Amino acid sequence: MALKQVQTTCAYCGAGCQIMFTVDTDANKIVEAVPADGRTNAGTLCLKGHYGWDYLNDPQILTKRLRKPMIRKGGKKSPLVEVSWEEAISYVAKRLGEIKEKFGPDSIMGTGSARGAGNEANYLMQKFMRACIGTNNVDHCARI
Amino acid sequence: MGIPEIEDAGCLLCFGYNGADSHPIVARRIVRGKQKGMKIICADPRVTETARISDIHLQLKGGSNLALVNAMANVIWNEGLADKKFIDEHTKGFDEFLKVIEKYTPEYAEPITHIPAETIRRAARVYATTKPAMILYGMGVCQFTQAVDVVKGLANLALMTGNFGGPSMGIGPVRGQNNVQGACDMGALPNSYPGYQNVTVPEIREKFEKAWGVPLSDQVGCPITHVPHRILHEKEEKKRIHAYYIFGEDPAQSDPDLAEVREALDKCDFVVMQDIYMNKTGLYADVILPATAWGENEGIYTCADRGFQRVRKLIEPEGDMRPDWQIIADISTAMGYPMNYKNTEEIWNEMIDLCPSFTGATYEKIEKYGGVQWPCRDKSMEDKGTPYLHKDGIFATKDHKALFYGTDWHPPVELENDQYPMTLSTVREVGHYSVRTMTGNCRTLRNLEDEPGWVQMNTEDCEKMNLKKGELVKILSKRGYCITRCLPTDRVKPGATYMTYQWWIGACNELTTAKLDPISNTPEYKYCACRVEKIEDQQWAERHVMELYDDIRAQMGIDTGKGAKA
Amino acid sequence: MNYFVKGNPDLCIGCRTCMIGCVVAHEGKHIFEVDPDSYSFNPKLHMVKTANLSVPVQCKHCENPACMAVCPVGAISQKDHCIVIDTEKCMGCKSCMDACPFGAINMTVQTGKFQADGTEKKVANKCDLCYGFSGGPACVRVCPTEALTLVTEDELGDAMERKRAEAARNAYLETHPQE
Repeated sequence: MALKQVQTTCAYCGAGCQIMFTVDTDANKIVEAVPADGRTNAGTLCLKGHYGWDYLNDPQILTKRLRKPMIRKGGKKSPLVEVSWEEAISYVAKRLGEIKEKFGPDSIMGTGSARGAGNEANYLMQKFMRACIGTNNVDHCARI
Repeated sequence: MGIPEIEDAGCLLCFGYNGADSHPIVARRIVRGKQKGMKIICADPRVTETARISDIHLQLKGGSNLALVNAMANVIWNEGLADKKFIDEHTKGFDEFLKVIEKYTPEYAEPITHIPAETIRRAARVYATTKPAMILYGMGVCQFTQAVDVVKGLANLALMTGNFGGPSMGIGPVRGQNNVQGACDMGALPNSYPGYQNVTVPEIREKFEKAWGVPLSDQVGCPITHVPHRILHEKEEKKRIHAYYIFGEDPAQSDPDLAEVREALDKCDFVVMQDIYMNKTGLYADVILPATAWGENEGIYTCADRGFQRVRKLIEPEGDMRPDWQIIADISTAMGYPMNYKNTEEIWNEMIDLCPSFTGATYEKIEKYGGVQWPCRDKSMEDKGTPYLHKDGIFATKDHKALFYGTDWHPPVELENDQYPMTLSTVREVGHYSVRTMTGNCRTLRNLEDEPGWVQMNTEDCEKMNLKKGELVKILSKRGYCITRCLPTDRVKPGATYMTYQWWIGACNELTTAKLDPISNTPEYKYCACRVEKIEDQQWAERHVMELYDDIRAQMGIDTGKGAKA
Repeated sequence: MNYFVKGNPDLCIGCRTCMIGCVVAHEGKHIFEVDPDSYSFNPKLHMVKTANLSVPVQCKHCENPACMAVCPVGAISQKDHCIVIDTEKCMGCKSCMDACPFGAINMTVQTGKFQADGTEKKVANKCDLCYGFSGGPACVRVCPTEALTLVTEDELGDAMERKRAEAARNAYLETHPQE
């Protein structure tokens, strides 16, 4: 068992706690989480920090991890069909392009994400909506 | 102010903020402050953990926030406790503000807030005379149709007592989600580019047009809470929304008035969902793009006190998932606007050079110091960021003066009535997070609390309805209903109910109203009228909940033949 | 003297991290790998929330335990400063549960083990101070607000000395009022 230690920021709430993870790199699994001495958490964690990483193991209790791009090929309410990334990307680009062409850029809405995605992905999302689509229709769940 | 500074305040006014359930590690600072002798004033309709250890608990009636805040300002002024020097030197608009608060005597506020006038006086005196005084506020302020006014009202209290510009003072919103501050910082907002630079200011727009090489819209965009309306009811063809690209959110669970949200998603021509887990929104998505999760990718989050911190890859994703930034870049490229980045640091470097407040916060510095609180304007290693804002009373306005802003209180939109005699407020479950796709899939967290969740009700109300702890009840508003378990408690007032918003079966957003604050566009999650009904056949109800859980799991693509049971 | 874990309601925020910490310590870390229904979630301490109080309650590890005295099969014994239940010997008679004045014992299902009637085995469950595990009681270790402490003989001795010193000072002040 090859173990490594990685420090990261907790995925939950705005407290920004630092956690030290022990990872089994052979099994590609987290072994343990212990509090690290972060500026805000000073060596403490709550229950979500201690035990909230388990969803990465995909135990399928409430929902299931998404692992493949999918398209509803038969329109609304038809089943989702697994497709390649190339097909998914070009399909999204085509449909968004058509809607922009027909109804204008302000007919498209995009969201950022206040959760796991991180700042860089949010920066790109708003840049995509503003520079590529041509609208300021971008927002996220800060309001909700 | 920073989170570590909380415990060194002389006085903490904790307003509509329940740290123990939403941020236990912030609540820890409050507890430590108390041990160090900090005076705590807690304004909350419930006996929260902070209220329990407070010196003064202002157990106000839900929806009366601004009446209480204005009354505290009234006392501070009339009893000569205001910091006149600070008001003269660092603020504007005080005289107009005084005219507004004049009528808000504690006696005027008492019947609105249900707090004795003398208690309001006592709280105002403690806040005004104990230095430094800090204010923390949370969703109990923001999730009302009168939200921004209350934030300004709290800022008025800090301004009139000179509690700005030093450590352990000021006013702090404790942001809920791990990166809600970051999503705002990065300009995932309809009115601002990254770094809070307004889209309507020509010079700023020109800067971004030059950097991004395309002309940009000068129109403020659509707030997320307007989307259902803009899909379903927008008369103006040009403003109607036809495509919705949803990234890392689940509006079909988290947004108010879910029936309307479902109708909107159903009617929307094209819905793209980019996420890590299947969720309720996925049932309406035309395309699903699987992203890597926290723990499987690199990046930076911003915590509630403006601290940029690194998030690192722990394990390799198992499957055909891609990092969010890469998916977005690929779609953009396919649409004719090429985006080529090798890693998150390249994106970050482009961003900080466009945002004066973030320019100095390089990856190198964040790595070296463990984090950087913005503003951090200079790339030299000496600029380590800013622990607290408005140092020495110098504010981020043109003339560096803060502005008093007084408004009158108004009641919530949907009041109790004959048909719906109780009130509902949505709250948080400590062991669960947001729409629960993450924590609902963590074994031990779901062991602690699971579907269909609880409705907290006063014990007297429960006795009147003959409801026992754990009994399944039906709760209804004029928009919808759901089933949940009854939790009798003396921590809530008679007539009020509280539901945590994490549950899919006990989904309180079936009941909530989509009425919004006019400025922040935040829904009034903290107040709507409801009714609780007893279910006579509990065996049926228990079976029904099990069936609903099985249905959800099957809809989410889980093979329900094995695995967890409800 | 037996040790015990003491909760401080002035520090407790009712988050129940201690309850999960307890289960993870006793079940082992493999619970994050197995079928979510194949392990037992039986915390050995219980969060109590009244109108004005939040604090976990657990076994006090009494010096003359009522539970031990009433157990008809000798499943409860004193080991290394704590009182422990041998769940193999326990026959589920609930006498200990009834005898405990603190409500610190409950009956729990042992997932995967079966009793004579074919149902899953039910046994008495209570705090064992993480007997047999390294690092001391897990609840104390994981509590984010340091609301839990392991009270040992030394700890108790120090506290008594502090209290006596306080009492002596008070007695002195009574006869020598400060100006």
